[in-house]
Amino acid sequence: MAREIAIDPVTRIEGHAKVTIHLDDDGQVEDARFHVTQFRGFEKFCEGRPLHEMPAITARICGICPVSHLIASSKACDMLLAVGIPEPARKLRRLLNLAQILQSHALSFFHLSSPDLLLGMDAPEQERNVFHLFSSHPDLARDGIRLRKYGQQIVEWLGGKRIHPAWVVPGGVSRPLSEKLRDRMLEGLPEAREVTLRTIQAYKNLTEDFREEIRSFGNFPSMFMGLVTPQGNLETYDGRLRFMDAQGDIVADQVPGSDYRDHIGEAVEPWSYLKFPYYKPTGYPDGIYRVGPLARMNIVDACGTPLADEELAEFRELQRGPALSSFHFHYARLIEILFCVERIEQILNDPDILGQRVRAQAGPNAAEGIGVAEAPRGTLIHHYRADENGLIQQVNLVIATCHNNLAMNKSVRQVARRFVSGDALDDGALNRVEAVVRAYDPCLSCSTHAAGRMPLHLQLIGPDGALLDEAKRG
Amino acid sequence: MSKPKVAIFDFACCEGCQLQIVNLEEELLDLISVVQPVTWREAMSEKDDDYDIALIEGSITRPEDEERLRAIRDRADILVALGACATIGGVNKLKNNFELDEVKRCVYGDAADMPHLDTAMTKGADEVVEVDCYVHGCPMDKKEFTHIVKSLALGKEPVIPDYPVCVECKQRGTICRYEYGEICLGVVTRAGCNAPCPSGGLWCFGCRGYAPEPNVQAARDVMEEYDLTVEDLQSKLKLFNSKQEPTNA
Repeated sequence: MAREIAIDPVTRIEGHAKVTIHLDDDGQVEDARFHVTQFRGFEKFCEGRPLHEMPAITARICGICPVSHLIASSKACDMLLAVGIPEPARKLRRLLNLAQILQSHALSFFHLSSPDLLLGMDAPEQERNVFHLFSSHPDLARDGIRLRKYGQQIVEWLGGKRIHPAWVVPGGVSRPLSEKLRDRMLEGLPEAREVTLRTIQAYKNLTEDFREEIRSFGNFPSMFMGLVTPQGNLETYDGRLRFMDAQGDIVADQVPGSDYRDHIGEAVEPWSYLKFPYYKPTGYPDGIYRVGPLARMNIVDACGTPLADEELAEFRELQRGPALSSFHFHYARLIEILFCVERIEQILNDPDILGQRVRAQAGPNAAEGIGVAEAPRGTLIHHYRADENGLIQQVNLVIATCHNNLAMNKSVRQVARRFVSGDALDDGALNRVEAVVRAYDPCLSCSTHAAGRMPLHLQLIGPDGALLDEAKRG
Repeated sequence: MSKPKVAIFDFACCEGCQLQIVNLEEELLDLISVVQPVTWREAMSEKDDDYDIALIEGSITRPEDEERLRAIRDRADILVALGACATIGGVNKLKNNFELDEVKRCVYGDAADMPHLDTAMTKGADEVVEVDCYVHGCPMDKKEFTHIVKSLALGKEPVIPDYPVCVECKQRGTICRYEYGEICLGVVTRAGCNAPCPSGGLWCFGCRGYAPEPNVQAARDVMEEYDLTVEDLQSKLKLFNSKQEPTNA
């Protein structure tokens, strides 16, 4: 009999999500979908707000990466003011974004995914959490907390608070950086670097145990997208878009963020709140592309910092052409942490960073503003139209997690087909379905998982909609 | 004495308040010495969950959320609202200033008619059930959170400031944002955050909600002194303090 299994909720996501697995008459997986089941309507309720409020409002979209929204929003507002922002402000914003990526990646790797990686996908459910790691792998758990704290500390020192810091503003930043805080940031760097290098080594030592997962965790051809510098290197704050196909050929390069609409279309499906962006020239749904750490490591010519580039060279050995398995998001994320540590050091050692001129003041001077930056999870686009008084008339937000929507769905399908069948609804198989979602880190705040409880509710639903069986854990 | 059991539930929000709990880092272990977390992410297993204190994060935006919140209320001895979305509705309430259909259509275009996209007016937690205690702010302040949870665990009344943010700016010696020509909501907003926004170079957004008895006359005087109108202030207040009905400014 055909059946449906629901994993609801998967784990925490910005909004709420579930996975449904549809079984055919033979108990084999026919289809699996990743649904997002809530929406708040930011794009509408920003209408009429003054442009100067936009960074603060849009930061509230996400408690995990508020900084990314602050930055994309402020860049869009810079355009509405028609100003070039002072150089120290640019560097400070860049520093903030790097610190944010660092802490977010650390959260994703240590708090969220490392229990699966260190204890195994089939480990008892009550052990697969970061609290258990404190007893089983105390050094690594401590490293995770320390590394994340370093990134969060920089965010707090710059912005005044760790979540929704009111510091990045249209025209620049609201306050310069003091020498004292700069020095404290520098003090933490050596430890951050050591922890990162140690973790990368530990990760490489354990991937041998996950060959089957690497083969089936969202391992398929797709395009990749992200920002690059004019030289084609890794860029998180400025830069232009590059699109690469599954063979590793660059199909569009140095596309200004403001032209995103020529390249990205957005589709809606009747079963999810989350839109499905696709590469326009290829069409929907074949224009599937991925963003985020995996995509960035695939598309760039180089990271542009020495240690990260050494690692990138090893990453490139994974396979000929771009790395296609979404399992490699983990490795890519670790390389990016290393890049962030190195770039943070470069920026902090630049005397410009202490410049006192950090904010350009202007009134509304343009009707349209588009801000693009790399968030931890991928490219983030804020697009505003404003009237002559600077009141917002229209907002379009393309959130990093959305770009990966098609890919996440395809990955969930692939993992379900490989590991789940009607007769084997075991914990390990279902955990793998969640783990592949976790590999994308889809704005999944991990506080839950960090505390060690990820309840899972499964429902087997017959073709007539009747509940056939039920299982709970967590 | 057995430790009170604490459960955390999230509704529509950015989940930043729960993240503030993670941000406690090593202090989190201290907190766990006085309370026992039993659910840090519900699924649908609330019916048989056993807890003393329920922490609620997020706004209520759908009828099914109201049902869920009522069920949580029934089982909890103490219900605490965490952060602006739960305490006052927060930025999610901006939605109430528009026709709901218009909101859906703006985000989803012609696809907005799909039944799964249904949404309702945004409510704070206490517009649905009785709330025993509030942890204000966007996000909530983690020190205040620790103070409140510890107080509740020990059966004490937590101390939550009832004076406006202006008091904290004065204590810190922060130059008034009105001197920079900005409209700052500190005059009517509840303190307790230690005024990080004005000291960081920005006006107060009012995320902690109104002070219990805001000195409206003083706010009028400030507006007059700086050649501004009460409407100017109200327009800013919409951001975090919109109401059930459209808030006209």
